[in-house]
Amino acid sequence: MIARPDRPDRPDRPKRPKQPKQPKRPTRPKFSTLTALSLAAAMALLLVSAVTLGRETEPPGRTVVTVRLWDQQVAGAYRRSFDEFTRRHPGIEVRVNVVAFSTYFDTLRTDVAGGSADDIFWISNAYFAPYVDSGRLVDVTSSFGPQAVAGWEPSVVDQFTRDRRLWGVPQLTDAGIALYYNADLLSAAGVDPAVLDSLRWSPDDTVDTLRPLLSRLAGGRGRQWAYNAANDLQGIYLNYIGSAGGVFSVGDRFAFDNAQAAEAFRYLVRLINVDKVAPPASATNDNGDFSRNMFLQGRMALFQSGTYNLAAVAANAPFRWGVALLPAGPAGRVSVTNGIAAAGNSASPHPESVREVLAWMGGTDGNAYLGVGGAAVPAVLAAQRTYFDYWAAKGVDVAPFFDVLHGPRISAPGGAGFAAGFNALKPYFDEMFLGRLDVAQALPQAQTAANAAAER
Amino acid sequence: MTSPSRAISSAAVYAMLGVGAIITLAPFVFGVVTSFTSARQFATGTPLQVPDPPTVANYAGLADAGFGRTVVVTALMTAVIVLGQLTFSVLAAYAFARLTFRGRDAIFWAYIATLMVPPTVTIVPLYLMMAQAGLRNTFWALVLPFVFGSPYAIFLLREYFRTIPADLINAARLDGASTLDVLVHVVIPVSKPILVTLTLITVVSQWNNFMWPLVITSGPKWRVLTVATAGLQSQYNGQWTLVMAATTVATVPLIVAFVAFQRHIVRSIVVTGLK
Amino acid sequence: MVSARVRTTTTAYALLAPSLFGVAAFLLLPMFVVGWLSLHHWDLLGPIRYVGLDNWRSVLSDGTFGNSLVVTALFVALVVPVQSALGLLAASMLARQLPGGVFFRTLYVLPWICAPIAIAVLWHWLLAPTDGAINTLLGRQVEWLTDPGLALPVVSAVTVWTNVGYVALFFLAGILAIPEEIYRAARLDGAGPWQRFRRITLPLLRPTLFFVLVTGIISAAQVFDTVYALTGGGPQNRTDLVAHRIYAEAFGAAAVGRAAVMAVILFAILVIATIAQHLYFRRRISYDLA
Repeated sequence: MIARPDRPDRPDRPKRPKQPKQPKRPTRPKFSTLTALSLAAAMALLLVSAVTLGRETEPPGRTVVTVRLWDQQVAGAYRRSFDEFTRRHPGIEVRVNVVAFSTYFDTLRTDVAGGSADDIFWISNAYFAPYVDSGRLVDVTSSFGPQAVAGWEPSVVDQFTRDRRLWGVPQLTDAGIALYYNADLLSAAGVDPAVLDSLRWSPDDTVDTLRPLLSRLAGGRGRQWAYNAANDLQGIYLNYIGSAGGVFSVGDRFAFDNAQAAEAFRYLVRLINVDKVAPPASATNDNGDFSRNMFLQGRMALFQSGTYNLAAVAANAPFRWGVALLPAGPAGRVSVTNGIAAAGNSASPHPESVREVLAWMGGTDGNAYLGVGGAAVPAVLAAQRTYFDYWAAKGVDVAPFFDVLHGPRISAPGGAGFAAGFNALKPYFDEMFLGRLDVAQALPQAQTAANAAAER
Repeated sequence: MTSPSRAISSAAVYAMLGVGAIITLAPFVFGVVTSFTSARQFATGTPLQVPDPPTVANYAGLADAGFGRTVVVTALMTAVIVLGQLTFSVLAAYAFARLTFRGRDAIFWAYIATLMVPPTVTIVPLYLMMAQAGLRNTFWALVLPFVFGSPYAIFLLREYFRTIPADLINAARLDGASTLDVLVHVVIPVSKPILVTLTLITVVSQWNNFMWPLVITSGPKWRVLTVATAGLQSQYNGQWTLVMAATTVATVPLIVAFVAFQRHIVRSIVVTGLK
Repeated sequence: MVSARVRTTTTAYALLAPSLFGVAAFLLLPMFVVGWLSLHHWDLLGPIRYVGLDNWRSVLSDGTFGNSLVVTALFVALVVPVQSALGLLAASMLARQLPGGVFFRTLYVLPWICAPIAIAVLWHWLLAPTDGAINTLLGRQVEWLTDPGLALPVVSAVTVWTNVGYVALFFLAGILAIPEEIYRAARLDGAGPWQRFRRITLPLLRPTLFFVLVTGIISAAQVFDTVYALTGGGPQNRTDLVAHRIYAEAFGAAAVGRAAVMAVILFAILVIATIAQHLYFRRRISYDLA
């Protein structure tokens, strides 16, 4: 037997610490540097994309001027106007930017503050003061000379004058408020449209002809309303306050806590909550288009509003309709009139081009486009014919909107603190119109809150 | 083994779970159905009718309103923030977890302290700071506050990194690895679960971020999906069919991602919560 | 070796640099800025003016901020208990681990994954008085969001709806972490299902409960998106949660200084609340599962 040689003793070796499987031994700092580099590259790629996204897409050789407004109908007219402008000034392209009215002034403020606002933007009398005070608007009096105002609607020029200078180029005047009516619903209720022109509202039931008529026009629970009484400053309550002989504001202060205004509000609140001839305030308080939509759907007999809704009604109403004078009150027939101006952004990178566009917008040719489509009443006096001609051709009598202006007017409110003040009074007015807060309590509380907020 | 009483209660449990499922799903279903209804049918008929011809007109309307660019901006912002935040958080967490240096604990507790700062409180001063720096309404304003790392992520990563066996790292160092090597080849491969978790959390929270983009951007250029959805609601007040299309677009990407990654996401919610 | 330590320190600070910058610039610095801002007046358009304590006096004297705090407290008191209870209920059912449970668990988290603003817009339509889905189903015209009595509960309900699935996941993990032996032992001792729940599950869930409550309160106190889309502050400011009030002051009323005051006060309240909760619960969650 051959002896197997003994295996030599293996000396004890210190055990190597157990290592879990590792990825293949990387050759190098090259690999991890590669990873780091690829991460950095990915980030760089993303950032380059961001920069590219941010690049202004200016067509070469042209300046782009942007114009902001809130009315979809008028925007169409502006686009046609600006097409013509670009034909005459080939180096300037104008783009229209529509922002909803409900957020228009909030976003305008943050945009102007942030330097990202459009070169030209619509302003309204109520909201323009803070912009003037902080130097954000182009001084039209300096740019165009004091004689320029001669061609513009005086009431609009007044509204946008502050510190004796004009701060916007008048674009539109809203004319007055009138009563749209659904002729089909009226004839179904046996009402002759002619009676509308002599309607009177009054806290005194023996004199009041509006309420009885509205009761006749209202139909089955909520399916058909007679009227759009609501928490609507321009369309409804400002006119009621005026025709009651009261005031809403005096200068920059809110002053609606007076007996006549209280009468007006009481009347409206009764129409909504007791007579139920108007939609519930819960539907109209926060949605300014609700009543108009109801009217357009044929579910509202009378719709009190301004020329700013005329084009929508003409385009969309599937029934016969007309316009009548707005109801008179104890102090007569009083309407508010409002104007809109286009302000130049003083921080615009293209001040010269902005001036040219503003000149066009304030001139007869440019402003006429707004009237040609019947969208709005041009503020340039020489261009106003286009508006009347258009509607006359359509067989719509727009006289009620203008005739009412021959009488007394109530001024549209404004001032530096208007936005804050109006925000502050809104909750009180909402509750008042909902019928949950008595008018006699709501008005003083709202006025105090509004003035306090406006002063801050 | 189910005793009779258990069997009955099983049925009861299913019933209750089912009710819960209906309550959870119904709103989404209604919304999506409405988004495919034509505006006219919605206005004239009752709101819950089945769309008679279902239509994609509302979605086309979204494209007109600039939603295409909005989605791109949102995706880009999210990508930049996720990439930056994770990278810088990993670096910081590694330093806290595995390196010893002066001031380490003090700085770490400072980071932890900032976890108590509520976002609501920082929005206004951050707005002012961005305004002074002239960065309002820029892409940078959207990402800068978030891209440099998040104390929350750093905290979680540090916990995780501390559990990596020291031997792994030491062995790598013995082989001549630099810190970068250790990170790429040892730490990150081992941390995949937590990294996936954090990626998902960050993607969700940035995609859904509303208040900061609302405040710091304005206009269509840098609008993100959340802001666009809210804006659509005010711009087209009452046009619910269009607005529902917007909410669908805003929620669908995450729902799809969620269903695809649901196990990870669920685990991530739990893991980060219970730490 | 000194050089090695210096190298480590350098490496460490190099690694820390980006996040240090981020934390300092975007988390710490704002805290000082907001305090500074509370002493100034700014309307976003004009210059920033120093006004001393005027903003503080103004905020503390008019009722709007106090109202927001009360509304927020009510909101938190409504939302947190309800979502925790419902989450616990859902988790107990899911813990049975019946077939198909994963489907439900996944489904319930869906609302939380979506953007709160999108959820709010969706519910805004559902709750619309005339053409919303809910009123259509009910056949009545309930003023969910404009009735002062209903608005806050409704907003709370939407928040609870969003969070239940998310909360349930935490409870589920907590329940599943309880060892089966404990239940078995209890069953052998004759304990019924309700007793098992009360004596075993609930106490052992204390850490989870603590976590859910604390995070629930902190996040409920900062709800903004839901209010923005549903009520804008609500009828008569009844849903004017603090986060919304701060936003409305700064960007609606353009009173940034006042908003800063509110932010500072909110911060103080949340810090105190967090610390108080930690102290309260620390003494009560020392259960060992060994």
